[in-house]
Amino acid sequence: MIIGIPQGLLYAKYHVFATTFMKEIGAKTVASPTTNKSILDEGVRYCVDEACLPMKVYHGHVAWLRGKCDAVLIPRFMSIRPKEHICPMFCGLIEMVSNHIPDLPLLIDTPVYSLNRDRMLIWAKYAARFLTKDQKTVDAAFDKAIMRQNDYKPGINDEGFPAKVALIGHVYNIYDSFINMNLVKKLNALGIGVLTGEYVPGDAIEDEVRQLYKKPFWSLAREYYGAAVYIRKTKMADGIIYLSSFSCGIDSIITELIKCENDEFPFMVLKLDEHTGEAGYDTRLDAFSDMLKRRKTKFARYVS
Amino acid sequence: MLVTFPNMGNVAFAARALCQGLKIPYVMPEKNNKDTLRRGSFYAPEEICLPFKVMLGNFLECIEKGADTILFVGSCGPCRFGEYCELHMKILRRLGYGNVNIVVADFSPEIGIDALRHRIAAISDKSPVGKLEKLKAVKNAMIIEALCDRLDRIAYEMAGYEVNRGTCKRLMYEYKAKILESKEPDETIAMLRGYLRKFGEVKTDLSLDPVKIAIIGEIYTVIDPFSNLYIEEKLMDLGASSSRMLTPTWWVKDLVMKPVKLNSPNINRAARKYMPFPVGGHGKECIGEAVLAAKKGMDGAIQILPLGCMPEVISKAILPSIRRDYSFPFMTLIVDEVTGEAGINTRLEAFLDMLGSIKKRGGSGRKHNLTKMEPAGSLLRRCANEADRKELFFE
Ligand code: SF4
Ligand code: SF4
Repeated sequence: MIIGIPQGLLYAKYHVFATTFMKEIGAKTVASPTTNKSILDEGVRYCVDEACLPMKVYHGHVAWLRGKCDAVLIPRFMSIRPKEHICPMFCGLIEMVSNHIPDLPLLIDTPVYSLNRDRMLIWAKYAARFLTKDQKTVDAAFDKAIMRQNDYKPGINDEGFPAKVALIGHVYNIYDSFINMNLVKKLNALGIGVLTGEYVPGDAIEDEVRQLYKKPFWSLAREYYGAAVYIRKTKMADGIIYLSSFSCGIDSIITELIKCENDEFPFMVLKLDEHTGEAGYDTRLDAFSDMLKRRKTKFARYVS
Repeated sequence: MLVTFPNMGNVAFAARALCQGLKIPYVMPEKNNKDTLRRGSFYAPEEICLPFKVMLGNFLECIEKGADTILFVGSCGPCRFGEYCELHMKILRRLGYGNVNIVVADFSPEIGIDALRHRIAAISDKSPVGKLEKLKAVKNAMIIEALCDRLDRIAYEMAGYEVNRGTCKRLMYEYKAKILESKEPDETIAMLRGYLRKFGEVKTDLSLDPVKIAIIGEIYTVIDPFSNLYIEEKLMDLGASSSRMLTPTWWVKDLVMKPVKLNSPNINRAARKYMPFPVGGHGKECIGEAVLAAKKGMDGAIQILPLGCMPEVISKAILPSIRRDYSFPFMTLIVDEVTGEAGINTRLEAFLDMLGSIKKRGGSGRKHNLTKMEPAGSLLRRCANEADRKELFFE
């Protein structure tokens, strides 16, 4: 059996687990290619207009996999930590995909309720039911997949650039260089190193979040908020770029919460959608990098 | 302490009655209007959904009139609504209203019953009346809410059958104006019961058979007439009969029943095939109501959602399947602060024309499940008796 894995949304975070697990239980896997123009176009065609860009792109990836596999793995992420949520769009993703893309193969849409070991093992058993019912195979595959996943540490922390910005936002925006129009490369070319949220220690995030009146109940939002505020406080970077997508409900709140904390520290929100023009985007990056550098020299003058 | 509350359809009437009963001074928010929204959207983040902006406008208006405590409800996701209070607080603080206290009645288990009790005590301790009196105030507020919702429901539904076009609308306006004059919850209740009776006397013609439309979608925008550009009243003017299930009364009931999973079983059952998992907000309800409306033999549905509303975007993606399966027509109305009224009117008229002509041709070929449908006249006949029933809320 060939299992298709769409290279969108949380793929960037959990693909090691998914691929290893499926391989270990005896399936062949095929991943869609990294996002390109035709995938984006397909996605825009099949997805409701009002959805955010990452959702549209995901539709494109699923559409690409048609005819190339026997089943597509689209886990339904209901939440990844107890009592927290991801985004409503994730909960309804399967319905959106299955109602709009014709000729789909089987969908493996087992819901994920939490990323702790016990719940994931239940998930694994259920997701594997088309391939094998053998408990031992599943267990072994699961352990191996978890091990590989734990070894896999994504994240960018460039050294040796004159300035450094923290890139905060959804992984599927940050690591998809087609959607974000090669942001990391562009920043590097401007002499700016990139730091991603993965380098902020977990308990620091908790500490920051605790200062809020109400803890955000979106796991991802909690991370971004905590990371951004921590980076600003400890000056781990010279500025923050928040990479967001239009009509993302979560970003609209989180960017605002960060902004309220943030008065002096350079902070820019870059919003992406399928109409974002590259020229305007580059201009904003240039302006931001100039500002960073100006601040740095000014700062240096004060010190000397 | 001067209390205020957001204005969302009839909820403000109930909140007002509560304050009256508790003898707490309050500021009644103005009816939502263009200025409310303009001010709200000026200070709110651009991409946030419409309800946030309207509410922020409400708060700012009332704070200027001296309010220093805001009553508000909360939830714990997955939708944005749960984050409203945090952001409201930050914005108010930034505008220099740091002294304003937002009391969030948050019913989610994550916050815990103690915290909830604590927050409610902050308000009720300020009230000079005794314990029994407090309970009565809460009960009266709930009855007023239920009565208002019932009156609205009758008005919207009856409008299609009335002999003299505009009677229902006039009565509805009348009672809403009178509520604001009354000083005592008991007085309000008696007045509202009187209006139920008056609706019972409206001359109707059951043979008219108007176009029947279900209003579905995001709860704030369907309940607050200003946010949905008075769509229900427009339908009244056009001689259509509309009905919606989501009301503040429903919301409270849903909240109470959720922990025991008995909330709106019919809606959940109807939605299961299309949306097996909840998506937050009221996305599932939207789907369930659409299916129920189709099964009941309504002629069409209008989905109302604020721009960028995540749960409703998912519903919108699923509705085409319901259209296909039941050949049930839909119209989607996306509202934000720049939605123009003129465009809506033409779209609405065109939609009604289409439904009317389908009806004339003898229906869409859809199998009407007439046994399940409430006969058009029964609601009308019932309302006269209902005026005398006591416990409307818990029926
Ligand atoms: S978090 Fe935002 S970008 Fe991600 S799926 Fe949800 S709405 Fe889209
Ligand atoms: S349901 Fe829609 S309008 Fe309501 S808070 Fe959520 S996103 Fe906003």
